[in-house]
Amino acid sequence: MGPVGDKSSTGSSSAAYNAAGADNPKERLKECCRKLVAFMCTQVGVGGLVVGYAVVGAFCFIQIEGQAGDAQHHAVEQLRHNCSVNVWNATNTYNVLYRDNWTRQVTDALTHFQVNLALIVKKGYDGRTTEETWSFSAALMFSLSIFTMNGYGNVVPKTMLGKAATVVYAVFGIPLYVLYFRNMGKVLAQSFRWLYTWVYQCSMEDKAGGDLYNQQLPQKSRVIVPSTACLWVLAAYVATGTVTFVTLEDWSYLDSTFFCVTSLCKIGIENFVPVGSITDAVADHPMKLVIKFIYLLLGMGIIAMCFDLMREDVQVRVRNLKMDIGLCFEDIRLRAVAVYRRRNSFD
Amino acid sequence: MERKRSGRRYYNKRKKTWTQQCKDYLRQFIAFLFSNIGIICLVVGYTIAGAFMFIFIEGAPGNAIAVIDRVGANRSGTADRIWDMVCCNAYCEDEWKQEVQVHLRSFQSHVIEAVRNFSYEGPNKQMTRWSFSGSFLYSLSVITTIGYGNVTPRTLLGKLATILYAIVGMPLFLLYLSNIGDILAKSFKWIYAKCCLCRNCKKRRKRMLAIQRKEQWKMDMRDFKLNTGVLTEGEESDDEGTTDGSSSLSFNDTQEVTVPISLCLTIMVGYISGGAILFSKWESWEFFDGSYFCFISLSTIGFGDFVPGNSITGSGTSIGTGTSTGTGTGPGNRGSAGTVIELSFILCSMYLMLGMALIAMCFNLMQQDVVMKIRTCTDIVRRIGRCKN
Repeated sequence: MGPVGDKSSTGSSSAAYNAAGADNPKERLKECCRKLVAFMCTQVGVGGLVVGYAVVGAFCFIQIEGQAGDAQHHAVEQLRHNCSVNVWNATNTYNVLYRDNWTRQVTDALTHFQVNLALIVKKGYDGRTTEETWSFSAALMFSLSIFTMNGYGNVVPKTMLGKAATVVYAVFGIPLYVLYFRNMGKVLAQSFRWLYTWVYQCSMEDKAGGDLYNQQLPQKSRVIVPSTACLWVLAAYVATGTVTFVTLEDWSYLDSTFFCVTSLCKIGIENFVPVGSITDAVADHPMKLVIKFIYLLLGMGIIAMCFDLMREDVQVRVRNLKMDIGLCFEDIRLRAVAVYRRRNSFD
Repeated sequence: MERKRSGRRYYNKRKKTWTQQCKDYLRQFIAFLFSNIGIICLVVGYTIAGAFMFIFIEGAPGNAIAVIDRVGANRSGTADRIWDMVCCNAYCEDEWKQEVQVHLRSFQSHVIEAVRNFSYEGPNKQMTRWSFSGSFLYSLSVITTIGYGNVTPRTLLGKLATILYAIVGMPLFLLYLSNIGDILAKSFKWIYAKCCLCRNCKKRRKRMLAIQRKEQWKMDMRDFKLNTGVLTEGEESDDEGTTDGSSSLSFNDTQEVTVPISLCLTIMVGYISGGAILFSKWESWEFFDGSYFCFISLSTIGFGDFVPGNSITGSGTSIGTGTSTGTGTGPGNRGSAGTVIELSFILCSMYLMLGMALIAMCFNLMQQDVVMKIRTCTDIVRRIGRCKN
């Protein structure tokens, strides 16, 4: 947090100093270089900081939560053992193998097991031991889900220390993440605006010497990117994510879209918890995890960009609307005055 | 907005008589009522509509019966498999138990999946997750982007509806947050300026006046320099009426006071611990768990490991297990528990909506404070730089 903030502030102040007197091209070039360096530092620095923070958080949570006792798991094992003993007793007492009685007894035992199991599951048990739950990938997704405010909830801290650590981690992580979000949004918005302007110019005119013109133009007149373009970008991003996850995770298209939208909106309803078979949880491929991680971080940046661009567009539109309404009212007023006058003159 | 602005202009132009002042206040109050009450109503109405929609889509009784039937079929399947084992086994107890354990394990994973993903409650239980209160909390958690995830849509239509609902609802909620946060920030500032700065410590006010005078002097200096061409930035054109030192702070003056960050943090911590106390009373959680829940909810993380109403349904289930065969005792219990759950859901959603607005307010105030501090810092740095030059 500290060094990055310092960097950005010094960068901005130096830019402010240079803005006053930079006329000759040498100075301007220097300033450009300095800006580029500052840009790289802040962007790469903040991005790296976010990733590093997530990794450190993952290790911390593995340390804290991995040592916690496995009370629920033991309780379930005990339940299962009791159930099997009950079934054995039933088999022993009805050793005539009278099937109906036996079935009734066994069904009772199973029902008992099922009810108690349902209770434990509702308290948060999901069929995995702590080692399986707190694999590195799961912990990384957990720390990511804390500071992006997604909160999937497929992995949650159980111990008191873990909960306190979560709160502290969120308190420091969320401002860091917001910094990243803002920066990323600004940079992406600038580059997207530049790209849009370039494409726009290219499509509008195909004259000779257009290159020079194109490069100068974005600085001179700011072209406002319409919000439909932003929406298209967002839709394309969600569609990409959908296709990626369908191929990677064998989800259906709808599930994949649901995951993308709820994650990018920071709702984070995680309903694809690998509960059914324990092997699923273990065989979480690291490549998949990395792709998910990058997808989420980049997606947040793209959403920030769209917010940035759309706000501008909406502002312009609102201003235009206000002007239109003002003109409209003026027109009505003039007409009313004219009508009034005409009536007066008739009288 | 338009009306308010025109009102203020009117207010500035004429000399203020008492009745006009009154009228003006009244008008502002009515405008306030319309804009903000309207938005609150819109948010609440949208959430209620969403709750009914999700009940209609997800809470169809067919789903519930299907899940219960599936679990029952799995149970009898397991019994059959054990029976098969009984028929052809050598009756060695340990081996036999091992094999039974394997079957039980598969049954267990089935039950876990049913409970976690298909909102299965227990053999004799109705589905309470998509009751009105549950789906109200679900739609609230969608539009506030908390996303508890304890209740998830299972059907295709439900997922689609959630996506659309979120796309429309989130901007609405953001609008609510920004509006209410703004209003709260303004009123809080006003209160802060009136109470803490005016009445209690006159010394502090005097000090503030002195500081303001100093700043005015600096501004004069800057204007002077600006006129002579030393400085080339020109934004300072207002700030004429701040130093007249009259005894009553007007509304505009109070809006220039910045509330310190520590106070905002205190408010947030106080709100969270207050919520923790409330929830520990309603839900019989521990205090720490309550504050954990409040923090996770208000920061919109929302893991969903603690959700209000869960514990009560849990106790209901434990009553049910005591009389495992008695199906007739269910409804009475459920009725009394149901009202408690509804009440706690409503209070929880109110707590969340108010808390989000309060946090928006705190961020608003803190941002202003930080911006102010940064501005003074850069001013100082600039001045130092000028001195060196």
